[in-house]
Order: sequence, then structure tokens, then C-alpha cells
Amino acid sequence: MLAIRNILFLSIFFILFGCKEKDTLFKNPSAADTGLTFENTLTESDDFNIIDYLYFYNGGGLAIGDINGDNLPDIFISGNQVKNKLYLNKGNLQFEDISVQARIRGNSTWNTGAVMGDVNGDGLLDIYVCAVVGINGFDGHNELYINNGDETFTESAAKYGLDLDTYSSNAAFLDYDLDGDLDVYILNHAVHTQDSYGKSSLRFKRNYETGDRLMRNDGGKFTDVSEEAGILGGINSYGLGIAIADFNQDGWPDIYIGNDFHEDDYYYLNTGEGSFRESLKDYFGHTSRFSMGSDVADINGDGWPDMISLDMLPEDEKVLKSSEGDDNIQTQKLRIDRFGYHYQFTRNMLYVNQKGYDYQETALLSGIAATDWSWSALFADFDQDSSQDLFISNGIPKRPNDLDYIRFISSEQIQNKISNTKLIDQKALDLMPKGNTHNYIFKGKGKLAFEDLSGTWTKKDTLVSGATALADLDNDGDLDIVTNNINTTPQVYQNTTDASANYLKIRFDYKPSNRFGIGTKVFAYNKGQLQYKELYTVRGFQASSEPILHFGFGNETTIDYIKIVWPDRTAQTLMDVPVNQTLTISPKGNIPFDYKSLQPTQKSLFKKVADNLGIDFTHTEDPYIDFNRQKLIPYQVSDRGPAVAIGDLNGDQKDDIYFGSSKFIASKIYLRDSTGFTEASYPSITKENSTEDVVATIQDFNQDGRADLFIGTGGADFSKRSKPLKDVYFTAQDTTFVQQQLPESFQNASVLAVHDYDNDGDLDVFVGNQAIANDFGRPSESVLLRNDNGTFTIDTSTSFDNIGMLTDAVWSDFNGDGTKDLVLIGEWMMPQFYANTNGTLGKVTIMNTPLNGLWQAIAPFDMDADGDIDYILGNWGQNSKFVATPETPMYAYLDDFDDNGQSETIVATQKEGAYYPLVGLNDLGGQMTNLFKKYTSYQDFGGQTVEEIFGKKAISESTKLTVHTLQSGYLRNEGGRFTFVPFGENLQVAPIMAFETYDFDGDGKEEVLAAGNYFGVKPFHGRLDSFSGALIKSDGSSTLGHQLGLDLAQKSVRHLTILPLETKTYLLVTFNNDKAHVYQLQK
Amino acid sequence: MNTLLSRYFGILLLVLSFTACEEKPLEPIVISAEDFHTSVNNVTEVMIHDIFSPPQASRIYAYPNVAAYEILASTRSEYNSLATQLTDFTTIPEPATTENLNYELAALVAHMDLSRRLVFSEDMITPYRDSLYQLWNTKNEKEYTTSKAYGLTVADHVAAWMDKDLYKETRTMPKFSVITDDPSRWQPTPPAYADGIEPHWNKIRPFVIDSAAQFKPVPPPAFSMDESSNFYKELKEVYDISESITKQGDNAEEIAIAQFWDCNPYVSVTRGHLMFATKKITPGAHWIGIAKIASRNAGHDPMQTMYTYTKTSIAIADAFISCWDEKYRSNLVRPETLINEHFNDSWQPILQTPPFPEYVSGHSVVSGAASEALTSIFGDGFSFVDDTELPYGLPVRSFSSFRAAASEAAISRLYGGIHYRAAVDNGLVQGKNIGRFINASLKMKINNAQASN
Repeated sequence: MLAIRNILFLSIFFILFGCKEKDTLFKNPSAADTGLTFENTLTESDDFNIIDYLYFYNGGGLAIGDINGDNLPDIFISGNQVKNKLYLNKGNLQFEDISVQARIRGNSTWNTGAVMGDVNGDGLLDIYVCAVVGINGFDGHNELYINNGDETFTESAAKYGLDLDTYSSNAAFLDYDLDGDLDVYILNHAVHTQDSYGKSSLRFKRNYETGDRLMRNDGGKFTDVSEEAGILGGINSYGLGIAIADFNQDGWPDIYIGNDFHEDDYYYLNTGEGSFRESLKDYFGHTSRFSMGSDVADINGDGWPDMISLDMLPEDEKVLKSSEGDDNIQTQKLRIDRFGYHYQFTRNMLYVNQKGYDYQETALLSGIAATDWSWSALFADFDQDSSQDLFISNGIPKRPNDLDYIRFISSEQIQNKISNTKLIDQKALDLMPKGNTHNYIFKGKGKLAFEDLSGTWTKKDTLVSGATALADLDNDGDLDIVTNNINTTPQVYQNTTDASANYLKIRFDYKPSNRFGIGTKVFAYNKGQLQYKELYTVRGFQASSEPILHFGFGNETTIDYIKIVWPDRTAQTLMDVPVNQTLTISPKGNIPFDYKSLQPTQKSLFKKVADNLGIDFTHTEDPYIDFNRQKLIPYQVSDRGPAVAIGDLNGDQKDDIYFGSSKFIASKIYLRDSTGFTEASYPSITKENSTEDVVATIQDFNQDGRADLFIGTGGADFSKRSKPLKDVYFTAQDTTFVQQQLPESFQNASVLAVHDYDNDGDLDVFVGNQAIANDFGRPSESVLLRNDNGTFTIDTSTSFDNIGMLTDAVWSDFNGDGTKDLVLIGEWMMPQFYANTNGTLGKVTIMNTPLNGLWQAIAPFDMDADGDIDYILGNWGQNSKFVATPETPMYAYLDDFDDNGQSETIVATQKEGAYYPLVGLNDLGGQMTNLFKKYTSYQDFGGQTVEEIFGKKAISESTKLTVHTLQSGYLRNEGGRFTFVPFGENLQVAPIMAFETYDFDGDGKEEVLAAGNYFGVKPFHGRLDSFSGALIKSDGSSTLGHQLGLDLAQKSVRHLTILPLETKTYLLVTFNNDKAHVYQLQK
Repeated sequence: MNTLLSRYFGILLLVLSFTACEEKPLEPIVISAEDFHTSVNNVTEVMIHDIFSPPQASRIYAYPNVAAYEILASTRSEYNSLATQLTDFTTIPEPATTENLNYELAALVAHMDLSRRLVFSEDMITPYRDSLYQLWNTKNEKEYTTSKAYGLTVADHVAAWMDKDLYKETRTMPKFSVITDDPSRWQPTPPAYADGIEPHWNKIRPFVIDSAAQFKPVPPPAFSMDESSNFYKELKEVYDISESITKQGDNAEEIAIAQFWDCNPYVSVTRGHLMFATKKITPGAHWIGIAKIASRNAGHDPMQTMYTYTKTSIAIADAFISCWDEKYRSNLVRPETLINEHFNDSWQPILQTPPFPEYVSGHSVVSGAASEALTSIFGDGFSFVDDTELPYGLPVRSFSSFRAAASEAAISRLYGGIHYRAAVDNGLVQGKNIGRFINASLKMKINNAQASN
């Protein structure tokens, strides 16, 4: 009885507990509570609004720092049309408005970014407020408020030479020349016509109003050194984002500038000689397009700074489908090929630093790509669990890129207003939809993963938030957030982590000329884990944060040691540092720091061969674009070449090389000579022809002692029974090659797998085919060619129809009966196993669960070193807009939905339980005109599921292709049955297209080298270019290729081939649309 | 009691029937030429909203007109049916009954119904249609019902023919592939850099001409950036004229001409992230507007009105098919691309360059064809005041003849900076030849006194 009563009591307790409103990590005290009553009120008028000024909605600035030395961070805030405010922190989140007496209210017409820094080296934080001057009647100049030390300031911009009257959006402090004092980078924005791109070279012609400035501090007077320092300043530099960090860890601060619109971002590497080298294209495969704010932090604990750059991709289906999206592929090509810009895509980008190699971009993989109209990003360890979290402010009062507005509403309003002088009035503006999406907060899950906890950590707001800054406002050890909002008071996010996790705050007391230690680095080591931070206060967007470094340490109470590296390249170390304190550190016992010690030390396994062994082969992909014909297909199939094959073509017992070509381009043969390889002409093979050679193999098929050449052709352009689709077979005769007959089969080949499966002494060929031209997704027929004395016939005893879009095949004894069996993989299918019994192939099911993927490559390999054969599988990866899990697969529906004789491919992915097409109304309606009748506005179309769009019946009657996983991984052999084990996230950043198995490191065990990247996708996906290859060991570990001496990022690998020469072994890497590379193995 | 009751009911019935007659007097439904003008105008309005490209617009005008014309002509001895005169077009069905059949009403119903089928935003047509239906139903239910049924039957017949013109199939045909490495080839142009539109329009079934290539123009001057070449000279001429008239400012007659004939259905405007479009009627719609003006001025009845619209719209539709055939054959680069590259990287044409290859000028071909069709109906020297563009903020212009208007429309493309002279001159010739061919081929009106011009 008593027990029951206890249970009852407990139940009631739990119910009560459960009913309690869930606590958020952040509380939002009201303006009435805090006293932060500032409002950035925007006053629109018929004469002055977003039409007249493109950055009307970009908002004001925000700077946090202790201006009066009471160790309580104070808040300075600027509005566009309203006066600046300075709030003194009185403790307990109480603020006092001292704007009037502080004399910082400002005189410029239109203020933007606001930042704090000690400009005059007196140890007090001064305030610099940017202004846009010279357009729309905007008056004034950038204002510099020198701190008088008594809670008053004196505007002294002119005195210091910082009174710029340009289109400034922000400024940042850095000591670029390491002379000890702080210099200033001033970010200006452009207003250049959007009517045309103009050549990218516009950036080399300096423009007064829009060109960025680097201002060198020459003893209290700032000198414009932009030109000599290599800072670009063109009429098209739409600078909105600035991030300062020592990106390449050489001790010299570097700069990343995010430019809006089509202008490329700038990546300035400090030469250490008073100048910068703009190096964007060398290190970034692609960037955000409408780049806004940015932030830098080491998110993966490798001691190198990573970066996010924000854009404006909406997450919400309805908004997404009614907003202007990415370019079409031809426009992108034009912008890049003709105008000279880089690859840019409309979404956030997360650039993961590869220690000086090309950045790995993982925003889609990391789940932070779409946060709508985003302004500020700030990394910090908000929950103090040792991994970096991410806050993103966003919102715009009106969405000017709303498709209904662009296409339908605006014009009717313009028509009505045509007699007036102004094109659009307030009424027209009111018709634009609102864009006040909630601010986002993501919890860092370690390494590259983030989890969206908006609504859990924070309340979902309806604010339009821009400039954002971090500070421990209440001095409780955790970091609070403040946002500057449009038309309302600032939002304070009070962090309630408090004592539930441990922290360490560090402030610096550096040399007088840089008292706050801007540019100082801290490496905090604890139990083998590294946290790395570098102090730059200008972060996010138009704002500066409190000049401290903040670390979270979870439950750890003492930190093994922290190393401080000062801007003057000296370092000191503190051992066994207790947590939950604020350290103030000055240089003490500091000794010169060797920056070389930070550089990667991994030993190279591969070394690029300077002369490429004489192999000057460059593959050129023909300009055919699959999407121009099949406009809705998810990716191309025409660009899977070139073929490469190794074998002795001239009978000198040495291996030669055959490279296939795209159609209407000649293939090439390189013969082995004494020093390397020399191109040779075999007219019957190397003449220009209409075949697209995708795969090839060199074998002695007719057993005459001479190697023959078998070429699988494809290209997915020619269709039906076009001759170029017929594979080609040459036999060697004397010094020439003669083409031989093959059975009639007109297919787009993807793989040739050679093996004497019938054990009659000659080599047979399995020809795997991927696609039917112009009919994406329909299974093409693959064939097993039985060789009888050099003549091939199709073995019809096993059918290989209706399997899927084959990409790779391997003969391998998966059932351990001593004969090689056949394993097939491909796209929209699961791996298929065919057991070979005395020359007869029979399909068996030995996978434990169905697992369709977009499989690209397979290699047999004992992954777990247990003695049996596992299979390594290359898949699409998780870093594109495709999403698939076994529970929520990705589907492609194939049917002639509009009955016009041509099949459509509708790819749909799952979002919150429903399936939505990946593409929008313009793409779908362009193919199925009836949809334009069904949906006469984008608003109606947005949020519609595939069933709603096409009808349940049509969807259920269509052919449905499925993908359950996009992860690369391996099939673990469990006594003859196989289970899929995915690889880690480093191997999911791009499609893996090729494997080669070899003992690359000379440890007596084989490893698998994997490589990939793929560019045959629409700008909607971006460019899957971030994989630098990886060496996968049998102990399950993997090392990325660039750490081993390979340079495979930003290139699309098709084949990895070991090239054993007499004394040395080489690796031949064949790319699509690029020059083939030869590496020498170092072991 | 019984008799009383029956007498009472008898009287009641009598009263009721009298009342009914008083409430629903049989009134003939009169359809005027203005009703047809309104229906055509509604199509124009929806097409502006839905943003149909010029070739698509030409198709949308033609089919409803043909349907209405066929119904009207079927009762008029002086007009011939177009069956067998238009490619694959067969005689419309006979009415089930001619009792209570108002042919003009049926023609208007057919016109509205086909228009509704052809546009996207049906809800911009259906409220007007339904209000007419209600009105007619109130006026004379039998006449309305009978005539509407016939109108819809004919609309079905025309729609079945229309559906076989390969329009639907051309939607899924390949996009136009831009050849980026050949300087003579067309490149997408600012600001939208849109794909080339309707690259397969030459596969659309023509109405009268035997094939899209029947009036293939002479090739454009050979591409060359050699200063002595004709091509270069024509390119330079576009730039020079543009610079010269821009200097004169908005008062320049050439600028007024260029703007008057702009007829671009979608001029994209960008201000930072803000984008919007100013929309206008298409070249075809402008000539349909002129047809309306002429028809009104001449005091046409519904039959004459639909004869005018039908012939004009057929000429326009075939002109687009013929013109688009050449555009994607010669695939010539626009002046804007070359001027930006070679003369002035910030130059913008006075008119926005539309998204398709340069040669020949669509407006020139269409204006040539439409003006010949109209001249065959109204005679040469038919002067008119053109107020078609008033709703789009442009002034009226007066013309002494359709041909004079066509010549001005053609040269406007040179002034507008979007065409070279060859495209204008050769386009006008091409259009006139198409128009004359249609005049000669189509026997619509018997004893047409003004047929020869």
C-alpha cells in the first residue's frame, strides 16, 4: 500500500515536472528590464526606400566592450537614420543610457557598422562608426570616438585620417604589418548596376566610394596603403562580410572579404612584406554568392581557423519555392567563362581549413546551409561542452526576391504608377512578403556536425536581426548574445548555462599600442583535445564583440595547459589552469614561437612527377549539357569518361597507356620508352571519331600473345541504335590494330569487368551500361560477353536487364567457393550479387537490408582485417541537396506526366514527413505547361507536396526509383552475409568515383585509395569539389589525400591507376575535363 | 367545392403563367463587334499578366479567332470557311439545331472558351465570361443554352486541331545550347541572361505557309570584326546611332519611335536584391491592337471584325514561325554583347535586348506580315491614330498607312539598339512576303474588292 502511494506520488511529481514549460538555454529579458530601449527605426518614404538604396534593410551596428574599466561590458549601438546610443553596463543586465553625456550620438545621415578598438593605444576602447556617404543625399563621414577615460568621447576621425566619406559598411582592426599598433581595414559596398555583370577585371580599377581601404597606423595618423598592399577597390566590390584571421598559420593576419552579388569574395593572404595576395581561386572551389556576414573559429579542433560565410537560402519550403533561386547552368557558365568570376552558389558555406590546402566546404553536410536571409554568424561554445556552437541572425522586412512580386505584383503596381515620377510607392512595397524568419542557433556536435536547436535553445522570434555581438554581459562566465534589430529594441539572449558547465575566460594585457591583444592566439590542450581561438573582435556583421576569448570545458576542472601566442610571434605556456575564472594574461616568460611547428608534418606518400613521365594528356569534355535536353534530371550521365587502360600495346613487354576521349576528339596512346612515355599514333584507334570512350581495357582476348583493346563507349547524347554507342574491340596485328566485330548492343557503357568466368581459358567481358540517352532512370541492358577464341557472343543465360543504372562491376569470390563471382553496383539500386557456379551466374540476395544508393565505385578489400573479403563502396556523399536515409529515402518518379510522349523525372526528398520536388515551379512548368495553369502564383505552389502537384494517382502509377543512403562505406562480410557500415564524415564530402588497392605506404598491407568529386550537377547543388581523396587502411582509419601529397580537390577524378615501372611505382590519376597527373609513390 | 377549387386553381395557374411571361420576356441577345473587341482585349490582358513570349502570344491569338470566324462565316455567303485552307483544319461541326441558335453568340462563346484554354490565369477570363453567361441566361435562356452549346462544340473541334500543332511536344524539346567559344554566336544578354526562348518554334505547325523555311531570308552579313566588313559597319552603326540619339535625350524622335514599338512583354529591372518587371504587350499584340483600331474606324460588324482579327492573327502567327526558324538557324550574336566587348563595356541599349538570337528582327517580320494582311482588308493609305500603347504610358502616334507603321516598327529595333540594319531590312521584306502569300492563298472574303495591293 505504501509502495503504491509512493508510486502515485512519484507519478504526480513526474507529471508536474513534465508539465513545466521546457527551459530554453537563452532567456530574453525585455527592453524594459534591461534599459536597452534603442530602436533602429527605419523611415521609408516614396522618395527613399529599397528602390533608391539597395541596402536599405541592412541595419545598424553594434559594439560591445568595457569602455570605463569596471569589467562590465558596455553596449554601443548605431541605427541607420536614428542617433547612436551608448549604454553603460551597471551589472545584473541593467544598462544606463549615457549617449548624450558621452557625446557619441553622431552626425552622419546613414550609419552602418560600429566597432570598438583601441585606436590611439591608450588602453581604452574607442568607437568607430561607419557611414554611407555620397548617395541619396547621405551626408557625413565615418566617425571615430576617442575614449576620454571619463565616460565621454571626442569625435576625432579627421585628426586620425579615418574620416572616410565613402559607402562604408564595416571596419576591422588588425595589425597587418606586425609593427605593434592597430591598422584598420574599411569595408565599402558597391552600388554598381545590377543590369549587367561586367567583367571581373572591374575590380582592378580603384573607385573612391566603393573600393575597400587598408589604413596603416603611422603613429596616430592613418595612411591609405590600399594600392601598395594589394587591396582591390573596384566599382563592383559589394563588401558586406569581413573576417580577419591568420588563415594559413604563418603568424601574419589574413583577410577574407565577403562580397554580395556576382563579385567574387576576396581571400587576402598576408605576404609578410606589407602586402596581400588575393588568392580566392587557389584555395576555394566555390563560395557563397550573395555573401553577407561571416565568422571564423576552429570547429574541428585541429588548431586551424575554419570559416562560415552567410547567404540567403530559405529553409522553409513555402519561402524556398517562391524565392528566386540559383542561376541556370548556362548563365553560370557565361559568368565564369566569359566574365571571369568564380563558382558561387546561393547558400551558406562552411569552409573547413585543411592546414593550408584547399578548403573543404561542408555546409550541406553540416546542416547549416539554409538559414534564410542571414546577416551575422557567430561561433561560440554557448553550452560550454567544448565544441563550437553557432548563432545566425537573419531577416528582412520585405523579401524583394519573391517570385510573385517580381513577376506579377510589381508590374501591376508599376503600371498603376507609371504616370508618377517614382516607379514604386509605399503601397507597392507593402505587397512584398515579409522575411522575418527566426534567428537560428546550432549546437556543435564535434567535428563537422551541427544540430539546429532553434526553438529549443532559443524561442523562435519574428525579429529582423542584423548586427550581433557576444559578451558575458552578466559576468557569470557564459557568453550572452545581443542583436540589433530593425524597428524594435535590441534582443538580449541571456545564457543560462551558468554553473552547469565550466568555462575559462581570457583577456589580454598586451603591449600599450595593442593593449587588448588583438591577434593573440590561444591553444588550449586538455586530455588530448585542442581548442584554438584567435582574438579578433570584429566578427559576424557590422559589429564587434567583447575583446575576450571564451572557452567551454564541460565537466573538466583543470586544463592541462594553454599556450598563448602573441602577435609578436612569441609564446608562453600556462600549465594546469583551473576553470571557471577570468584570466588576464600579459606577456611573461614568452619565447619566440616557431610557426613552422604548426605546419602539417604528415609524411608524403605521393610526390607529383614534374614532367608527368611525358604523359601530357588532357581530357576535354565536350560541351554537351544533359540538362538542356532532359531538364529535370538530377545529374548528368554524359560526363563519366574518359577511359584509361594500361597494357602492352606494341609488344615490347612494357605497359603502355590508352586514354579515351570525348566525342569528336581524338583518343591518345602513350608508349613506354626509356625515360617515360611518348605519344604514339595508331590511326585506327587514335583518329578523331564520334565515340565517347568511357571505359577501356587492354587484354589478350584472342590469345595470340598480343594485347588487344576493348573500349566501352557512351556519352548519353546519341540515342537509340546510334553507331557511336556500339562498343569497340581492336585486336593487335603486327604494328597496327584492326577493329573486330562485337555483338549488336547500343548502350552507354560504364564499366568493363574482365574475367574468364566459364573457365575455358580465354577472357570474357561483362559490359555494364548506365543509362539510356534521353530517358534518365530507365534501366539499360548490360551484357556478359562470352569469349570463344577471340570472338564475343552475348551469354543470354543470365539477364542483366532492369537492374539499374550500373556504374561499376567487379569479379570477386564473395561466397568463398573458390570461383570469382560478379558484383554490380549503380545508381538508384542496391549492390547486386551474382554467384558463379561452373560458368553460370545466378543472382543471390546476401545483403541484410535493401540499400539503394547512388553507388559510383566498388573495391573488394578486407576492411576489418578479419580475413574475409568486404566491399568498399563509393556513394554520392552527404554534401549536396540530395537527402536520403533508409527511413526517409529519396525518390525519383519517372513518367510522361503530361502525355506528350516524353518522360519526366521528378526527384523528391523528404522534409518533415512529406515529399517535395527538389526543383521549383519554373523548372517543372517549363516541362509540364499544365502546372502553370494549376498554379498561377508561386505562393500557391510553395509547400506543395509531389502528390499535391501531380496527383496521388499519377505518382503511384509512375515508376519510382529509390535511394536509401548517400553515404559511402563498406559492406562488412559477416560469414557470407553483408551489412553496410558507413564511413565517417570526412569521406562523405563528395561523390567517391574511383578506388585503387595497393600497398601505398609500404607497410606490407594493402590500402585502398579513394578519390572523387563530381561537377555534373546544376548550380542548385553547387559543385561537389571538396574531396581531396583518402587512403583507407584495413584498420578502418583514413587519411585525406592532401595530407599524403595528393592534389585532388576541385578536380573530378575518374580513375586511379597504379603504374609500375622498372624501379619505381607511380600512380596515374585521370580526371574528367582536366590534365592527367602522375605521382611517384614514396615508399 | 370541387369546381370552386378547380376554378380557383385555374385562375391561379393563369395568373402564374402571366406573371412568368412578364418576368421572362423573350429578348433576342445582341452581340456587337465591341463584344469581340472586349474578348480579344481580355486575352491581351491575361497574356501580359502571364508573361507569354511573343511567339507563344501569336499562337494564343490565332486559334480563338479562327473558331469565332468559322462560326460567323458559316452563315454568310460572302465569307468562306477556312477549313482545308489552314493546314490540317477541317470543317467545324454542324449545329445540332439552328432553332434559337445565335451564331454571333456561339462565336463569342467559342472565342472565350479557347482563350481560356490557352492562357494560364483562367480566373482572369472566367469572371467576365460568367457575368455574360448570367446576363444572356436572364435575357433568353433558350438562345443562350443552344448557342453556348454550339460555341463549345466548335471550340472542342478547334482545340483538337490546335492540340496537334506540336506546341506541347516542343515544351520538352532540348533547351537551346549556347556556344560560348564562337564570337559570332548568340550569347545570353543582360540583365537576366535568360536562355534563348522557343528554339523549336519552327516545328510548330504553320497556318498557311507550307513550312517554317518557306520564306527563308538571305543570310545576315558574314560575321567579322574587321573594320571594313559589312558586319562591323552595321555593328558600329548600332552603337553610333545609339550614342547620337542618347545625346539628344528623350526628345529625340528616334527614341520615341524605339520606345513606342518596344513591345517587350517582360523587361526585367534589378535594384540590388530587388527585382521587378515592367510588362508590355508583344509585337503581335500591338498589331492586334491596330487591327482593332482599324476595324472600329471602319465601323465593322462582328463578321468583318473577326475577319480582320483572324486574318491578321494568322499572318502574325506564321510570321513568328518563319522568323524563329531563321533566328536559330543563323544564331547571330546581339549588338549588346559585341558593343560591351569591343566598344564600351557599360553601354546599354535603349531597349532591353530580348532573349533570343538577333537575325532577323521579329518585330520587322511580324509588322511586315500584319501590315500586308491589314492592307488587303482596308486598302493602302488607310490612316489611323495608334493609341495601343497608351495604357503602358506611351503617347499616341499617327500613321498614314499600315505599311508606314510597319516600316517604323522595323527601324525602331535599330534605334533601340537591339538589331543591326540587315535584320530590320531583310526582316521587313520577309514579313511582307509572308503577308502577301497569305493574302494570295487565303480565300476568306468573296469578291474582296481590296484584295490586291
